[in-house]
Amino acid sequence: MAALKNRVLHQTGHVLHTLPYRETSLIIEAFTREHGRVALMAKGARRPHSSLRGVIMEFLPLEFSWSGQGELKTLTHCEWLGGQALLRGRALMFAYYMNELLLRLLPREDAHPALFDHYAATLAALSIQADAADEVLLRRFEHALLRELGYGLHIEHCADSDESIQPVRHYHYEIERGLIHADLRQGAEDGRLYISGRTLIALQADDYSEAETRQQSKQLMRMLLNHYLNGQPLQARRVFKELQEL
Amino acid sequence: MSAPSSLEALIEALRCLPGVGPKSAQRMAYYLLQRDRQGAARLGQALTHSLQVLRNCARCNNYTEDEVCERCQSPRRDATQLCVVESPADLNMMEQTHVYQGLYFCLMGRIAPLDGVGPRELKLDRLLDRACDGVVKEVILATNFTNEGEATAHYLGELLRARGLSVSRIARGLPVGSELEHTDAGTIAQALVERRPL
Repeated sequence: MAALKNRVLHQTGHVLHTLPYRETSLIIEAFTREHGRVALMAKGARRPHSSLRGVIMEFLPLEFSWSGQGELKTLTHCEWLGGQALLRGRALMFAYYMNELLLRLLPREDAHPALFDHYAATLAALSIQADAADEVLLRRFEHALLRELGYGLHIEHCADSDESIQPVRHYHYEIERGLIHADLRQGAEDGRLYISGRTLIALQADDYSEAETRQQSKQLMRMLLNHYLNGQPLQARRVFKELQEL
Repeated sequence: MSAPSSLEALIEALRCLPGVGPKSAQRMAYYLLQRDRQGAARLGQALTHSLQVLRNCARCNNYTEDEVCERCQSPRRDATQLCVVESPADLNMMEQTHVYQGLYFCLMGRIAPLDGVGPRELKLDRLLDRACDGVVKEVILATNFTNEGEATAHYLGELLRARGLSVSRIARGLPVGSELEHTDAGTIAQALVERRPL
């Protein structure tokens, strides 16, 4: 009975990353809708004629079944759900970036259905956009990720006065504190991020139609993510940057 | 009682093989010492020898004992075609087809962003230098049809096209002699997405 109790069936999810294990097996880091991030051991998945070959691929909608109690579960079944083409080009690099963020920031076995839906919808959009992949998709994903993890952005009010954001003013963003009025007439101080009230109001609505919003929100997200990643750089971002410089 | 230090060193050394943990390494060590001392001596010599003489071919990056490997020097190969593969095993598979007469470049890896493998780790500039020797006209990208293989092919394609080379990618679809009924849905779906006019 114990084995049956620990059995989880037909969970929609995505592969975030895989690691080879022993001679023929694979450890899968999966992101599932109902169970969050789970580590699954796929026994024999690397054998030449394994039925899992060609199924366990990142970015495609899959259905997982597993059993086990510990942190590492045993994959019992994995099925391809279909309906989405493989990612190509720039879209592929964007998707790796999202996977790395999830791997680094999402704790194991903590369900985030809303974030999962956002992630799945972003992948579906990326599969259509391919090389014309729009960075705005990443900004929305970063925003959703921080919101879901409980790292609120606190961009509705000023931290020092509780006053609402004025579109014509400028603000500093201080991590874990929030927004502070900035006086641009004193000249920009080194290393501090200035954000316009207009950008903040647009960010609250997830509206990235203005170039200024896209640019400033990218800087803000980068600063926040860097803080929550403890300053450890993201590999996907580095590789993407190096590829573009070639 | 602990094992003699040389035995411990042997077990530790065997653990560098992929998929070999402490248990397997110990099993291998005892097997070599008890059952096949000759085999062990041969293994030791072969390892030392190959490390001394084998190096990467200056042109295709595959393993060779010479500066430039035999295949790259052969006048019978078509030097205007260059096929890019991920590993020597992939290269051998391409050779078994007997339909390709051109030359190769072996990447010895693929772009893997989450494992920190980018253009620098892959030494992509070496491939670019090789492909731009003035003789190569077409580059055939034969990296794997995994996400990492696709990412590698995509960026190589862009870089090589920008240098005026004609770039092609090996086709993906149903296995030869297969039936739709017995093929996995993912393969059929992608074959449909990448269908070509007749």
